[in-house]
Amino acid sequence: MFSFRSEAIFYLGDFRITNTIIDTLLVDAIIIIASFMLVKSIRIIPGLYQNTVEMVIQTFYEMTESVAQEKAAKIFPYFMSFFIFILLANWSGLLPGVNSIGFFEKGKLIPLLRSPTSDLNTTLGLALVSVAATHILSIRTVGFKDYLSRFFSFNPMNLFIGALEIISEITKVISLSFRLFGNIFAGEVVLLTVSSIFAFLFPLPFLLLEVVVGLVQALVFSMLTMAFMAILTIPHHDVSENANKAKHLL
Amino acid sequence: MEIINNFGLDPLLLGAQIVNFLIIFFILKRFAYKPVLDILKKREDSIKEGLRQAEEGKKILDEALEEEKKMLKDSQKRAEKIITDARNHAIELAKGTEENAKRQVENMITAAREQIMQEARESEKGVAIKVSELAVDFLQKSMQDVFGEKEQEEMMEVAIGKIKKIGLT
Repeated sequence: MFSFRSEAIFYLGDFRITNTIIDTLLVDAIIIIASFMLVKSIRIIPGLYQNTVEMVIQTFYEMTESVAQEKAAKIFPYFMSFFIFILLANWSGLLPGVNSIGFFEKGKLIPLLRSPTSDLNTTLGLALVSVAATHILSIRTVGFKDYLSRFFSFNPMNLFIGALEIISEITKVISLSFRLFGNIFAGEVVLLTVSSIFAFLFPLPFLLLEVVVGLVQALVFSMLTMAFMAILTIPHHDVSENANKAKHLL
Repeated sequence: MEIINNFGLDPLLLGAQIVNFLIIFFILKRFAYKPVLDILKKREDSIKEGLRQAEEGKKILDEALEEEKKMLKDSQKRAEKIITDARNHAIELAKGTEENAKRQVENMITAAREQIMQEARESEKGVAIKVSELAVDFLQKSMQDVFGEKEQEEMMEVAIGKIKKIGLT
């Protein structure tokens, strides 16, 4: 049966090369080849490939602009990169042969490839990068003093809120990583179970469902990152002022 | 720790995935977003510039058409003036030529009349001289047998005097 832990295929010294690492490299290869193909063929009058890429990038850029306004240029690369990487990682688990081609070890199938996002190491790594990037961007945008004022204050009420903010930052990492990991891992378990019951036609609706789940989870992760970045790049005093205004209006 | 082990968390794998994503992030940022966003900006600028130039071109065209209309109007006015002037000039010229021709004809007629009169006068003079000569001749021949030489001379003198008086010679 499926295990949470990704399976080691071979070792490089102490480093375990797992099936999720091999799949990650496959996703990396696709992204790198696609990027270089784009750079090579980029023209002022676009072809079909460039046009498609431009359409996607422009749509996502406008989405970022609608949330982050003038900070869109800084936030967009994170938003788009998380989306592309997670989407391809999620969908790579749906390719024929992934999770099903491998070798037997102690009577258990060890697949050669496994979706990277069904491994907590990947999702936790992505969540850590997301939260770290959010904080770095926040310090760069609002300044270190303003950044600290969000978490620490001489006012006991604000200090308590700051403590809650610190907890929320930690829970962000947990929620981002476990949401993605749980959804994709569960999807793969469902697919494996359904395929083992009846291999033909029956898994198709579940496969389609997983295509949608993969897309939705990629969007959820990247949009949450974008929202966190947009919130943390607003100066803290502006947030307090807005809160006071809102209180006044109420 | 038990939970972490169960989920297969491995610091090395976690670090590898973080580094991997950062590499992918920088590759995408450098080789995908930057060129695409640059080209989109460039295209947007060129479209804006094209629209601005088209607008400017339209404005220039409108101005040129307006200018052309104005010039056509001016030219028409000038042409009309030139035609009117030419017509007036032609009329004046025609008038002058007519008057000149009339004057010339009158002069010619006057000259011809004077010439005719002169010729008539000369003819009359010639006829008178001829008539006088004939008359003298006739008188001489008539008196030759009737009167003497002296009487003839007297008679001839009287007759010539009378002929001269009436202006035949």
